[in-house]
Amino acid sequence: MLAYFVAMATYAGFFMILAQGLNLQWGMTGMVNFGVAGFYALGAYSGAILSTRIGIAPELAIALAGVAAGVAGLVVSLLTMRLREDYFAIVTLGFGEIVRLFALNEDWLTEGPRGLRIPARPFDFGLSNAVYSLVYLGVVALVVLVIYAICERIRSGPYGRTLRAIREDDVVAGVLGKNVLRFRVQAFVLGSVFMGVAGALFAHYIQNISPDTFMPMIAIFIWMSVIVGGYGNNKGLLLGAGIVIFILEGSRFLGDFTSIVTSQQLSSIRIILIGIILMAVLRFRPRGLIPEPKFMSEFEKTS
Amino acid sequence: MMGQMIVNGVVTAALIAPPAVAFSMLFGILRFPNFAIGGYITVGVFTGYAANVLFGLPLWAASLAAMLAGAAVVWASDRIIFRPMRTSSPVTLLVVSIALTFVLEHTVRLVFGADVRGFDLPLERPLVFGGMHITRPQLYLMGASLLVVIVTHFLLTRTRIGKAMRAMADNSQLAEVRGIRSVLVRVMVTLYCGALLGLSGVSAGLDLVIEPLLGWGLTIPIIAAAILGGIGSVYGAMLGAVLVGLAEEFATLILPSSYKIGVGFAMITILLLLRPYGLLGQPEIKK
Amino acid sequence: MQTLISRRRVVTGSTAAMLGTAFVPRFAYASDPINIGSLTPNTGGGAPYGGNMAAAIKRTVDQINAAGGVLNRQIKLTQEDGETNPETATRAADKLINVNQVIAILGTWASSVTLGIMPKCQSANVIQMCVSSSSDIPLRDTKGLVFNFQILNPVWGRALGQLALERGYKRFKLMALNNDFTKSILDGFVDAVGAGRLLEKPFYYNANQASYKSEVSHLLEGNPDAVFIPGYVTDFTAIYKDIYRSGYKGRVITVTFAASAPFKAAVGDAAEGILHGYPIPPLDSPAYKQYLREAGLEDNGQIQHPYGTLCRDQISVLALAIQKAGSIDVDKVKKAIVDVSTGPGKKTVYNVLDGLKAIRAGEEINYSGAGSPVEFDSHRQTVDRDVQLYEIKGGKDVVLTTRKG
Repeated sequence: MLAYFVAMATYAGFFMILAQGLNLQWGMTGMVNFGVAGFYALGAYSGAILSTRIGIAPELAIALAGVAAGVAGLVVSLLTMRLREDYFAIVTLGFGEIVRLFALNEDWLTEGPRGLRIPARPFDFGLSNAVYSLVYLGVVALVVLVIYAICERIRSGPYGRTLRAIREDDVVAGVLGKNVLRFRVQAFVLGSVFMGVAGALFAHYIQNISPDTFMPMIAIFIWMSVIVGGYGNNKGLLLGAGIVIFILEGSRFLGDFTSIVTSQQLSSIRIILIGIILMAVLRFRPRGLIPEPKFMSEFEKTS
Repeated sequence: MMGQMIVNGVVTAALIAPPAVAFSMLFGILRFPNFAIGGYITVGVFTGYAANVLFGLPLWAASLAAMLAGAAVVWASDRIIFRPMRTSSPVTLLVVSIALTFVLEHTVRLVFGADVRGFDLPLERPLVFGGMHITRPQLYLMGASLLVVIVTHFLLTRTRIGKAMRAMADNSQLAEVRGIRSVLVRVMVTLYCGALLGLSGVSAGLDLVIEPLLGWGLTIPIIAAAILGGIGSVYGAMLGAVLVGLAEEFATLILPSSYKIGVGFAMITILLLLRPYGLLGQPEIKK
Repeated sequence: MQTLISRRRVVTGSTAAMLGTAFVPRFAYASDPINIGSLTPNTGGGAPYGGNMAAAIKRTVDQINAAGGVLNRQIKLTQEDGETNPETATRAADKLINVNQVIAILGTWASSVTLGIMPKCQSANVIQMCVSSSSDIPLRDTKGLVFNFQILNPVWGRALGQLALERGYKRFKLMALNNDFTKSILDGFVDAVGAGRLLEKPFYYNANQASYKSEVSHLLEGNPDAVFIPGYVTDFTAIYKDIYRSGYKGRVITVTFAASAPFKAAVGDAAEGILHGYPIPPLDSPAYKQYLREAGLEDNGQIQHPYGTLCRDQISVLALAIQKAGSIDVDKVKKAIVDVSTGPGKKTVYNVLDGLKAIRAGEEINYSGAGSPVEFDSHRQTVDRDVQLYEIKGGKDVVLTTRKG
């Protein structure tokens, strides 16, 4: 049981890093990135290829994966920064799918549908499996905390105020002399770096990745994490990511207590339940469980 | 070969144009991209299947049943979920609509299981013209699709309710000030779009295969068509559908076919960079 | 009586001790149930098969338990949904391994799921039984824990290729669903007909496309004598409808699980003449006939539930192996799996209850299943099974011939 909680906490950690990256992009600056799965995949594949194919130390590969995702974020954001938010959402969703298709089709680099095995173990000091899983959780938790600290610092500083000003109204922010484009690109790139790091940490944790691992569904769950937690709020979205993992995985335990329905029916019921819970949370707590403390504006409510 | 590719592209376009029109209209009134269209289509096709195969009704009656079911589900989901949430941000609503897709798809799965199914209608061999082939049901599909687009355009431009819809899509606050009953318009739009999506489910089931994931696979091309054409434009959605249909056909000439599903996305990106409001769309007045 | 402490329990115990919590390892007792998990594709792309698979495992477990269990212990089966998605399946495997403490996970279908949960299973020393034939499975299974019930058999594609040649077809076009499994079948087919007879290099499509028309036009370009399309039932049905509607008069060849009973129901008479092949579950095998009765299916001369039958075999072989090993020690069970299913000179049994009786009576057995005879090679892959070839005639699968593996 303990090992299970350790594993789930580790997955929640990946979700938390992704959610923080997304919050930086959307919660703070209003850029609707639906390509989370793409940046996650990019980080996972570049980290895995660097450590297993090229033989770079996995710790370094994880950092470089962040750089790779950041570069992709730079390109995507420069290309699409001027689109309105719903179109931006669809273009980034497309980016995610194209990354996945690339991984699926370019066997020479990614092993295609077979998937890539990642034997390299970062932060390994010859530990037993159980201890190693705890160490890994510790590393993931540390990354979550460091990113949290960075995000909090951004949020409370003058930079954060600028980003929020852009989110509320980029025209006004532009008139006030803020270089809107530069700020948005910076926020988007930093968020992508976080997602890339999450991907590489995830890849080295599960040790086997394939294109199917990065379906757009992940983006949806990260979005749910941010919205459920309360966007713009760093603490809230950590809670949100935890809650989403709890709903996704906790619902599996239903099956342990019932045998009236078949396994396949139960699977459908579980997913219906997940959908209803998420809709209910968003319906009755539209600003999330912990709404952004200050800076709540009327604009958000009416737009 | 070239001619056949155009025929193929137009058949695909006929399949996605009506739901693209529906998506576009829903976007205009509900003010968010409703990703649950896939779920609505799935509900439509399985209702049609049940009516046609389980209850032995002819296909036209089954299509009617699918339209009723589609209208009921779209209206109910708006009444229960989206209308009470109308003050939430479009992105929150988008995420909610995806959660709704889970619920709809898996409810269908729970009732019907996951097996592939077909309507009680024998497959037909094609008619051949100058090396190009097309089947009669495909011709009907194209006719029905064109009819839907023309009727919708007529409704929107010539009838009072249609004008009210457009006024609301342009500026809902102003429309209310001018005495348009926004709730009534909203109900009409959801019912109409629901019927279109239900009907699209039957066409999709005829063209592809009836299974719970059917709607999900069509979602992106439909949204791509609506956005390419420009949200709010009925003829734009049709034009967008033709473009998506042709692009997917011709893409296979230059790209490996396994990259095909990326083509729709690539097209949207390029087009939106050149024309941020779609081909026939109007720039929105920034509030 | 303390029978054994699984390694996992020791690990959990020591972790707990390391954390300084008061955690007492719970030892397994003879009366404790035996924990087994299944991770079938109940939703997602594999869903047309997942329901049968999960149900077949459940039915067999119920039979075993009703007859007194294995080693006088009941089997406690926990069934999870792999969602045909390795990302979520890995977390489901975590639950099966760490919460339900299973000794084996059965029923994984997509290669990406089987390979995706493999690192977790290897480190926890959990047996995997799968029906997903990526050629990478044995290469990545360093501990000898993964048993593949679906053959990855060049013979399969080759037999279909030979049949096509015998029918006098000379010009071929090929396309396949973009995955590892279908690619391997494709290779066998090309091997048999010779690359020179292909009008063009094979190409691939993805599942869940909004249209397959461009692929179909491309496939039929040049009017080949026959086309070969290994895929799954959902995509193949949509593709076949377009092939038929294009007026193609040549021969369509595929694999049996794509041309399964739901396919025939969906396309009706248009299915006439399709050639397909499948590694034997001989339609006349007693095990297959019993499966049909258990599943409440009519013996209609068609191959039904191709993956359901293989899952019945998985749980049966596992139960027999536990009985044979005399314990649930994974290292003993994995050796016994080969012992009870493979090799000549043993008593052939067709169902798990007969097998359990025979083992208790001290007999050496060889389980022959509903989905295959279940013979493993040294890589724990089911070895070259005989391939049976069929033609759809009047809505039925008519057996043409059987090729020796």
